[in-house]
Amino acid sequence: MHLTNDQLNEYLDKATHERAQIESHLDSCDECAARLSTLQNLFAELDSLPELELTRDLAARFTPRPSLPAQLPKFLTLTVSLQAAVALTAIIIAMPFIVQLIPVLEISSLSNVFIQLQTQWTTWLDMLSQVQFPTLPTFTFEISSIYLMSALVGVFMLWLVGNGLLLRNQIK
Amino acid sequence: MTYFFPATFSLPLLYYTLVMTTPTDRDLILRACRGDADSAEAFGELVTRYQTSVFNVCYRILHERGEAEDLAQEVFIRAYDRIHTFDIEREFGPWIRRVAANLCLNHLESQKVTTELDDERDADHAQLPEAAQEVRERSEQIRKALVSLPINYRLVIELRHYQELTYDEIAVELNIPLSDVKSHLFRARKVLAEKLHASD
Repeated sequence: MHLTNDQLNEYLDKATHERAQIESHLDSCDECAARLSTLQNLFAELDSLPELELTRDLAARFTPRPSLPAQLPKFLTLTVSLQAAVALTAIIIAMPFIVQLIPVLEISSLSNVFIQLQTQWTTWLDMLSQVQFPTLPTFTFEISSIYLMSALVGVFMLWLVGNGLLLRNQIK
Repeated sequence: MTYFFPATFSLPLLYYTLVMTTPTDRDLILRACRGDADSAEAFGELVTRYQTSVFNVCYRILHERGEAEDLAQEVFIRAYDRIHTFDIEREFGPWIRRVAANLCLNHLESQKVTTELDDERDADHAQLPEAAQEVRERSEQIRKALVSLPINYRLVIELRHYQELTYDEIAVELNIPLSDVKSHLFRARKVLAEKLHASD
């Protein structure tokens, strides 16, 4: 007496209470073992079916589009325009006075400017090479590794709590 | 001691970074239920997480890419409309995949679709390495065999093999007797085995 098709299917689906009897029969019956193997191959083939990728993002429909910057109220637009006009008029009126106040600038050649910059740079480098760093103070006592670890743990906990508070709204 | 410090600090830090900054499905569902400006964005994140698996449910059943993508979109739109009725204690992923399977079933039954095979998948065959091409061809044979099954058979295969539902769960999901679940499933497998064996 061979196993039925239903028994083999239920065995592979782990939906039978007769597992021990079925396994015992499979050990002694090559024909049923071959049928089970065929069914197992089918299961494996169905499992092997790869997932395909979408060609479009379905989430885009739910993602809010960036809204355009809010337009300024009309009265504010008018104020800004008036301010700009007043500022322009003030500049035009003040221009002759400004020209008189500003001393005449000597426009040196580009090569002179470059040489001056290079000289300045060399001076800075010389100054930097002469700088003497102060000697660091030495501890007169020995720091225990326990204290060091406690301090680091304390700082870490503070950091953790601080970030937790900062991110609280974002997590919500 | 030198190695103790980095290990002590990096593990909680990693846990904190991953767990605290990545919202769970439950968090996103709760945000989506609020109905404010943030709810669509939260649901969009859920869609990003599950869109591929939902699309693949639709594609396995319908075997037509454009239609499967449209239906997958429809699944999420319907889910969003009814998100406030979702039982927060359930897992979102399995639930949305079952919704997708049911929607595909309704779609097929209402349209009485004679599924056209999607030729788009075969477009790049010539450019694939030989091994990859063989895998792709075999996948195509399996998909063709699946889509040739009657609708009810296709559904039980989807729910049993890809969504890993038990016989009882399938019976509840499709609202059919347990005996029908078994007969559909076992016959579907027999037909599939014959078709795939014949194509070897």
